[in-house]
Amino acid sequence: MQPYQEEYIANIKDIAVITAYRKENHCSCEEFYEQSLENRERAKELAKRNMKLLREGLFPVLDHIFDADQETLSELYDFAGQLLSGADELDGGLFCQIHRALLNLARLTKNRDKIIEELYWLGIGYYNICNKLVGLELSESRQYISQMRLCFAEAAAYIKYFDEIEDAQTRGYILRSRANMALGLFASPSEKIRMVKRTLQILQDKGYQEKEPDLPWDRYINMTHQQMAASISYSRESKMTPQDVADVMESVYIVYQKGMQEAALRHEKPPVRSRFSHCAIEHYCGLYDMKELLGRMEDLMDEADLTDFSANSMYGIISLPAFYCQFLNQYPEYLPEREEYLENLYCKIMDYVESFPEAAQNQTLYLYLRQLASTFVETKNSISYKEFILKLLMRFEPEIYLHSRVVGHASAAFCKIIIEEEPDFFDDIGMIKEASDPEEKRRLILDYAMEGGLLHDVGKFSFIVLYSQAARQWFEEEYEMAHLHTLVGETWLSERESTKRYADVALGHHCWYDGSRGYPDSYRRLECPYRQMIDIINLIDWMSTVMKSAGLYTGVERSFDETVETAITLDGRKFSPLLIARLRDPDVVERLRDAFTQGRKDAFRCLYDTQKGDSA
Amino acid sequence: MSELEQINAALEEALEAAKAANQAKSVFLSNMSHDIRTPMNAIVGMTSIALSHIDEKARVQDCLLKIKTASMHLMSLVNDVLDMSRIDSGRLALNEEEFSLADLFHDIAVIVCPQAEQKNQMLQIDIGQILEENLIGDSLRLRQIMVNIIGNAVKYTQEDGEIKVQIRQYIQKDAADEGKKDTLILEFVCADNGIGMSKEFLDRIFVPFERVNNSTISKIEGTGLGMAIVKSLVDRMNGQISVDSKEGAGSRFVIQIPVTVADQSRRSISLPEGKTVLMAESRDTRVGQIEEYLKECGLTLVQVRSGLEAVTWLTEAQYENHMPCAMLLGQELSDMPVLELASHVRQLAGRDFPILLVSEEDWAQLEYRASRAGVNAFVPCPLFKSRLLETLSELIAHKAGTEEMTAGASEDFGQYRVLLVEDIELNQEIAVEMLSVTGVQVEVADNGKEALDKFERSPEGWYDIIFMDIQMPVMDGYEASKRIRALPRKDAESVWIVAMTANAFVEDIRLSRDAGMNEHCSKPVDPERLQEILRGRFL
Repeated sequence: MQPYQEEYIANIKDIAVITAYRKENHCSCEEFYEQSLENRERAKELAKRNMKLLREGLFPVLDHIFDADQETLSELYDFAGQLLSGADELDGGLFCQIHRALLNLARLTKNRDKIIEELYWLGIGYYNICNKLVGLELSESRQYISQMRLCFAEAAAYIKYFDEIEDAQTRGYILRSRANMALGLFASPSEKIRMVKRTLQILQDKGYQEKEPDLPWDRYINMTHQQMAASISYSRESKMTPQDVADVMESVYIVYQKGMQEAALRHEKPPVRSRFSHCAIEHYCGLYDMKELLGRMEDLMDEADLTDFSANSMYGIISLPAFYCQFLNQYPEYLPEREEYLENLYCKIMDYVESFPEAAQNQTLYLYLRQLASTFVETKNSISYKEFILKLLMRFEPEIYLHSRVVGHASAAFCKIIIEEEPDFFDDIGMIKEASDPEEKRRLILDYAMEGGLLHDVGKFSFIVLYSQAARQWFEEEYEMAHLHTLVGETWLSERESTKRYADVALGHHCWYDGSRGYPDSYRRLECPYRQMIDIINLIDWMSTVMKSAGLYTGVERSFDETVETAITLDGRKFSPLLIARLRDPDVVERLRDAFTQGRKDAFRCLYDTQKGDSA
Repeated sequence: MSELEQINAALEEALEAAKAANQAKSVFLSNMSHDIRTPMNAIVGMTSIALSHIDEKARVQDCLLKIKTASMHLMSLVNDVLDMSRIDSGRLALNEEEFSLADLFHDIAVIVCPQAEQKNQMLQIDIGQILEENLIGDSLRLRQIMVNIIGNAVKYTQEDGEIKVQIRQYIQKDAADEGKKDTLILEFVCADNGIGMSKEFLDRIFVPFERVNNSTISKIEGTGLGMAIVKSLVDRMNGQISVDSKEGAGSRFVIQIPVTVADQSRRSISLPEGKTVLMAESRDTRVGQIEEYLKECGLTLVQVRSGLEAVTWLTEAQYENHMPCAMLLGQELSDMPVLELASHVRQLAGRDFPILLVSEEDWAQLEYRASRAGVNAFVPCPLFKSRLLETLSELIAHKAGTEEMTAGASEDFGQYRVLLVEDIELNQEIAVEMLSVTGVQVEVADNGKEALDKFERSPEGWYDIIFMDIQMPVMDGYEASKRIRALPRKDAESVWIVAMTANAFVEDIRLSRDAGMNEHCSKPVDPERLQEILRGRFL
């Protein structure tokens, strides 16, 4: 790789460590605050440096890609490989940019093998994007899924010319693309199962195997069986046809047997994942009922060793409970007798995460927790979803947590100012209107503002690389993708009792007051009883973003006074005139300035109290 | 009967008729006062709400939108009354203008389809034998007639009901005998399975101020003038209207109107016989019809139902050198939105490959996204054979043109002049090649400074577009753009400057805008994107 490429990658890794807000042992809160501010500045410097590296190193190459020699192209390719490798993502956006350029070059030069290879990698890039959209409806993520599948489908179409293609690697890309066409969400499990089945037929065809015996056929076949077995995880029982179940069952047994054999050689138990698939498919075949399946899952979860941080153990401790919750969501009648078990399970999971070394840097842990966040079942005595999600934010997105806490604090302060003059300002919200005691009403309003502020950005948990770990400014397409955090947030919050009243805040906090701009379209301000509160969080969130925490992404950073001035210019368009009228009052401005300052300190204090101390 | 008795009987009849007419007018006045009061109430009420929330712009905006809707409804009531009054007094003049039947029915579909969708009704518009599409007549009034009839069918048909519209043309027997080929009969049939009408009402359906009155439709508003206007308009057009209806079973309206054929200055249709057209569409309803149209021209239609099938098919076709002569994108695919597929196919098949969108959607709403996705043309539905074939023919001819003469213009951009600012020779060559295919006259500058000098020395208005690289020696693209914009000449402000760079950060796009550039084009340059910029600027 070129030196600029190596430096870029090193900077990304440094930023990931710096932005984890790790607390050194014995440091005071003030020292932690100072250190964090220094780290933040350092991260900004590194990100700026990265942009300079791209501008001076990468972009000229892309500018002159038709002129680039083979060595340069090969370095570029290696560089992209470092940016996204398997589940480890350093910079998926840049990965896509590079492969898009290489695909364009391959198409223009009509280099068939290169076209196939670049289609495969671009498909992988899109797959990485699709992974971030877990929990969203198919309609919301369809654009990215379609782009991914079209790339793989085009590359896979060359299977017809397998004989004519001499390069073994290209043949491998064709087969892998064929298998990857079944990645991502489908409208029906049958569609996916049919596709995987066809891939298995191709991979098991001796004719193909004999033509290229050096390819890792067993691995391809096994992975495809795993893909088929994984169909259980998201398919609803009622949507699976008997043929689907039979097809999945066959793959599950093969994967299970293989796991058994390999584990026996190592004198271990088979992996939890294949044991779970085995249990699940036996349930789907009618060998036992849901109650029995849940019991067997409990046995598997109980086996977990909380001191084991391997991928298999993480699966058993976090991902399996996520499936367990998914079943309980589907069959709530089984929940009452499992509440206590679930409550203990959550405690175990939280302890495990707390004790996990370098948790913030572990992508598998992060992905499993995100899975659990989308299926979490709340019970009366369990950790609330709100608490759970905030703990995740603190651990994996401390920057977002800090920002959210500041927004909550300053929003509550702004509400306080408003209700001093207009106690009925928030009476569109039923629970607030119903409160007859003025003190109780005041408390409800301030609590809602604080909690709403804290939770407004939870959807960003799906886009960790774009936020806390951002190592450069966004590309335009990432900017569009980031918009989806509002929908992810709304989906997560709306499904749980402790958070559902904040779902509209997550959905609507980026919509303009006059509806002319902003996102998403599904927020209808005038139909939302929380609109006055959302207007406040919209304003305070924007102020906090442009002032401090996220200047990196947009290239905009303003002082408090400049921010207030700019907000006033957006009166009646982006922001509610009822709020901007207050911003014209110097006393209010001073109180808000103070709220932001105090909010920041309070946020750091909370983070300090919850971060465990690490040795330097 | 004595003469006197006869006169008396006639007078009594006239008196009864006058009484009936008078009663109908009274009912009309009573209905109208209710119908007018409803939107008026909304207008008055919404105005009050807006006034009491005058500081809340969004709320005021919402009130104004509701006031606008109510006003438009009120306006349509008044228009009906005025139309009827004009017809009554013989003051309504019909326009004699050339119009396209395809456009007329697309406009009608755009109006009525959403209404039917709202009630989850199945509205099917079938186009039968069409002898001539370019006609002479009053297309506005024709639209009024047909929208009224279909609108009533939607109104008086229950949710999930069915409405079937059929259109065809034929030559009237006596006209054919006389050798008159410039007059055709346009037949329009609208059948529904809605609430239908009683025999008594059917007798009075075309009497002004009458409307179906029963409890299921008491919320349906209208003047009761619609059918009378339709009847009068059809009469004025020397046409005929008839209706069959049964209470609880539905209604069937048949209208026959003579229309004049416009001058036959048709575009010639030349399609490559024996070639294939790929159609990506999961709905089967229209495919058979399209297949027939294409078959008549010697073309074969291949249908794929999903985006993945389409891409697989095209990849194989490209590899085996038997690409279809065009791709038709339908309304729906089983696995993805059609425009996602269009975008990928444009990359796969190259810039000249014709992609047509055949859709019921309103093109005005789709145009921006569809063009960006690489769609070349739009064929509106209901589908008319000549519209489909002419569009296809044009695109294929255009493609053949660009294939045959690489130096020829793919669009008529010959009168435009482009300044390409690029420091790398190879990039210059590629961009010049791509641009020259479009016919534009290209001049080249090696860096920002040279571009600035060239622009300064050129007469005003000489360059229409400047494609500006960003990273260049001597003077970069930002600086050059700023200096061009600062020059004291009229075209310094207006010349279109497009940044051509791999710098794709949001901030880069902002910087290029700050420097006065109008658009951003990523590198490596995609020929289709270049074409899009030129089309957007010049067409």
